[in-house]
Amino acid sequence: MHLSMEQLVALREPGAEPGTQTARSHLDECETCRAEFDRLHQRIARLKALPSLRPTRDRWPEVRAQIGVERRARRLRRFGLVGLAAAASVAMVVGVRNLRQPHTDAVPAELSEAMARSQALEAAIDRYHPESRVLDGRTARIAQELEDRIATVDRELQMTDLMDSGRRETQELDLWRERVGLLDALVDVHLTRASTAGL
Amino acid sequence: MLKALAMDSYLLADAKTVLAQAKAGDPAGFEALYRAFEIPVYNLCRRICRTAEDAEDVLQETFLEICRSIGQYREDGSLWGWIRSIAASKALMRLRRNKYRDTDELNDEVVAHRREDTHLRMDLEAALERLSETSRAVVWLHDVEGYTHEEIAVMMGKTPSFSKSQLARAHARLRRWLGEEVAA
Repeated sequence: MHLSMEQLVALREPGAEPGTQTARSHLDECETCRAEFDRLHQRIARLKALPSLRPTRDRWPEVRAQIGVERRARRLRRFGLVGLAAAASVAMVVGVRNLRQPHTDAVPAELSEAMARSQALEAAIDRYHPESRVLDGRTARIAQELEDRIATVDRELQMTDLMDSGRRETQELDLWRERVGLLDALVDVHLTRASTAGL
Repeated sequence: MLKALAMDSYLLADAKTVLAQAKAGDPAGFEALYRAFEIPVYNLCRRICRTAEDAEDVLQETFLEICRSIGQYREDGSLWGWIRSIAASKALMRLRRNKYRDTDELNDEVVAHRREDTHLRMDLEAALERLSETSRAVVWLHDVEGYTHEEIAVMMGKTPSFSKSQLARAHARLRRWLGEEVAA
């Protein structure tokens, strides 16, 4: 009775399991099993020596783009919190101004609306968890481009603090509207990709 | 462990600098890690996954995970060991997700029949490819990467006995498909 493959494979393991000693004694005496054991060793050596395989294309650009998307998403989330605070302060300013100026001022109301819309879109993107998705190269590039433009808008929004109040409100409204448009496009990019991929 | 440490210095001579860059979030550090470990990670993934496309996706997922969690690598073990465990775990996760049809039994019959008729011998690459995903993963992780049955069991969510029996069955099949029985 020769050794089974289970016994031969077990003989390669370090440490003695029950039955290993008996199997080893058999191996010493049986030429057929020794030949089989040698073939097992040779097969494993050949497995280790199989030629190295290479990916068909470089995946680094996708990895880099995705890291960029995640970083910007984190920054957006941080900015989103700042945005909420800004929206609250605008609402407060509007409230104070309305106490002093009973006439309707359309700009701050529109500004608040744009900020709220921006928050809603960011929440929608958050729910999609873009950082946990693998994007194809084209989608990643478009998403990255949009997020770069959003980052530019964010920087310009920060610069509006230096403007006089009248000009600042108009400028802020334009920028927040642009931000909403860009976020809208970003949502579309992710949703299109998700529906195409059946996610 | 020693082998994995030797792999570190072989693949990445200036590991300390690159790790410091990567931990600081420097894209140059991430890219250096990618360039150093791309081929061994891809080989591991390709041997476990059914298709090259799957393996490339897992390669991408592995490096994304590395970039996200490089801060958690404590440098008390080999870098390749750490990267390899992420790659193996992602590749096995991909297998579970794809739930490919296991065609082992069918292949067994087909190949046995063929052998009787033609004495056709497959080469090792083709025979390995023909194993079921689970068997191939066990063979590669155990025989080539050097994982123990206990480690494989943890990664696969199975028992060490499962890993042992998969390995024995896989070798019995490889032996048959490679025509080694003729010589026996």
